[in-house]
Amino acid sequence: MREPGRAIGADGRSSLRRVVLVGNPNVGKSALFNALTGLRATVSNYPGTTVETAHGHTPDGLEVVDAPGVNSLVPTSEDERVTWDLLRGVKDDPGAAVLQVADAKNLRRGLMLTLQLGHFGIPTVLGVNMTDEAEARGMSADLEGLEVALGVPVRATVATRGTGVAELCAALSQARTPRNHLPLPDDVAGPVAAILDGTAPLPSLETPPAFVARYHEAMLGHAGEIERRFTASPRADRRGAAFSRALGRLAVHPVWGWPLLVAALVAVYEIVGVFGAGTLVGLIEDGLFGRYLNPWATALFAHVPSAFVRDLFVGPYGVITVGLTYGLAIILPIVVTFFLVFGVLEDSGYLPRLAAMSDRFFRVMGLSGKAVLPMVLGLGCDTMATMTTRILPTRKERILATLLLALGVPCSAQLGVILAMLAWVPASAGLVWFTAVLGVMMVVGLLGRLLIPGSAAPFVVELPPMRRPLASNVLAKTAARVEWYLKEAVPLFILGTLLLFVLDRVHALGVLIRLGEPVVSGLLGLPREAAEAFLVGFLRRDFGATRLFDMARSGALDTVQIVVAMVTITLFVPCIANVFVIAKERGARTAAWMVGFIFPFAFLVGGLVRVVMRGLGFWGAP
Amino acid sequence: MCGLEYEPGGGRCRERGCALAFGGCRLHHCPRCGYETPDESGSVLARWVRRLLDRGPAAAKPRATLADLGPGCEATVTAIDGDAGLVARLTGQGLTPGTVVRLVQRVPSYVFEVGETTLAVERSVAEGIRIR
Repeated sequence: MREPGRAIGADGRSSLRRVVLVGNPNVGKSALFNALTGLRATVSNYPGTTVETAHGHTPDGLEVVDAPGVNSLVPTSEDERVTWDLLRGVKDDPGAAVLQVADAKNLRRGLMLTLQLGHFGIPTVLGVNMTDEAEARGMSADLEGLEVALGVPVRATVATRGTGVAELCAALSQARTPRNHLPLPDDVAGPVAAILDGTAPLPSLETPPAFVARYHEAMLGHAGEIERRFTASPRADRRGAAFSRALGRLAVHPVWGWPLLVAALVAVYEIVGVFGAGTLVGLIEDGLFGRYLNPWATALFAHVPSAFVRDLFVGPYGVITVGLTYGLAIILPIVVTFFLVFGVLEDSGYLPRLAAMSDRFFRVMGLSGKAVLPMVLGLGCDTMATMTTRILPTRKERILATLLLALGVPCSAQLGVILAMLAWVPASAGLVWFTAVLGVMMVVGLLGRLLIPGSAAPFVVELPPMRRPLASNVLAKTAARVEWYLKEAVPLFILGTLLLFVLDRVHALGVLIRLGEPVVSGLLGLPREAAEAFLVGFLRRDFGATRLFDMARSGALDTVQIVVAMVTITLFVPCIANVFVIAKERGARTAAWMVGFIFPFAFLVGGLVRVVMRGLGFWGAP
Repeated sequence: MCGLEYEPGGGRCRERGCALAFGGCRLHHCPRCGYETPDESGSVLARWVRRLLDRGPAAAKPRATLADLGPGCEATVTAIDGDAGLVARLTGQGLTPGTVVRLVQRVPSYVFEVGETTLAVERSVAEGIRIR
């Protein structure tokens, strides 16, 4: 352990090269990070995990790392484990220090981390952030007293406005290990010291030993005492945040929460589904790619003598005309608009409230409220949504959410065609489609809940205050996530296209279509041409759905056939890219299981819908 | 009756909104706040009931949890039951024995405040948070 009070660079060398930002979630860490680095940041997943960390440099060349928000240094979540690793690095690096950010309104929890940093022996500077909000509530803190008590530099900041950031920077060279001579209960002190020294392994995330909770209790007790000694907060005065509080309450209100939820979902759908997937995709796909890029590429490759190479790049299953066009022209606009909206929702503090509202609904399906995000995202693009199932806490929940996404959540391209087809049939038939898909999801979720081993984690979510999001923060996050998407998903689209190309070359496509005909005609009662639509629909999703749409429009399908086709194509795995991502995220075996289940199951349900609808007396042409 | 269900000692109602709160509040939950009676009479009644209960056999005492609290009511946490991961997470978020919690609502999720922290939990978690 470091000597308490030993300063970094105390001998006059300005040896501080690296600062790690640590703090509880929602204390303004990202805002401070942006204020320090001026958006010159790269966001990447921490090696071996799915946790995002941001790296940047101050104008002076100091490296700044934004660690994930944590509630305790003894990790109880993947986020906290990443922060733990980063802190280990700081401990071993004499040129590094921690800049801890604490919420001025909630100092107790911040000080608990400071005390833990003291135990860990890490040079620290404490930034007490959001002092404006605390003052608005009539709270005040004696920061000089706090500085003496903790033995580390303490500075007040309002990171969103840049107030106090320069002073905080100047204090960094005086980083010291927080003073922490506070007694721990005997049964806690030993194991904690062993973990902090690295002589004992980290406790498991799922089943930490009981001393972890006792350690938190002891630290919070001490932190509470320090908070009481150096802060004054007339508890009754909460006027400063009256509006934010009222909005925060309304958003989870048993009655008013629902209209707000519907409004939020409609807004997401309008921006992502209508504007992003409709307007923007139209502009980029038809305009940029359809009119300029693809004709140019075709013209360019026209000079290539080999027909094989020509088809490989610009043919009906070409890497450029299909793979890149799909990844960049169709999915990219959806992804950008979605991440933008998602970032706004995330920074506003609404997302945890959405999860709290929908927890009971998702419980039925063996999931928790946290699954609402991937599910809503799936209405934009299932492939991307499957990637975000990583945020779910247990393996069981991740598998279930992945399965339900692939099975029952139609992506925007599918949804668009399905909604258009709904216009051809009576409303009652549309209701059959909706009931069938939702019912299938509930039943499969229920079965999955019973059959897949493990359990959903107990639902606990912190509801941060509702805030107006900072544009710079949202844009920086969106840019980082879009870059991540481009790196991860576009190669998959190209791979999928190559597979199609090969299948087409060896004339396997036609064989597959002929093989599917008996099922399509016999079980589903659809014309044999529909087989092609299904197969192509899996490989080129919108293409297949559009083919069904054309068949419906030309009067080749009656009401029952339209609904059967809609149900079947909704339950189908949305596209080949989705299968690739499932394999990547959940493993090839799980992906094979899912696909092996979904294909027969989709046809089975389609056949069932046909029988039921005929039984109910749906007949005739639309 | 609120007093009987959660050992009335630490329970205090602060908001008149409690009685009007929509949802889970089962009328009897928070009589003091519902009747708008002054604190004294409430705590006298509470102390009396508690004394009555304390005399009875320990097994007969209902174990009060956060799930029994009415919206708008406050109580002191005495212990947290649940698997170790859950307890470690909750304590990390500031919910420790001795802290005062204030229940905001019960439906669709249990929402409560611990100091400046607001948490939403499912019913089974709320049932593990013992209060007095």
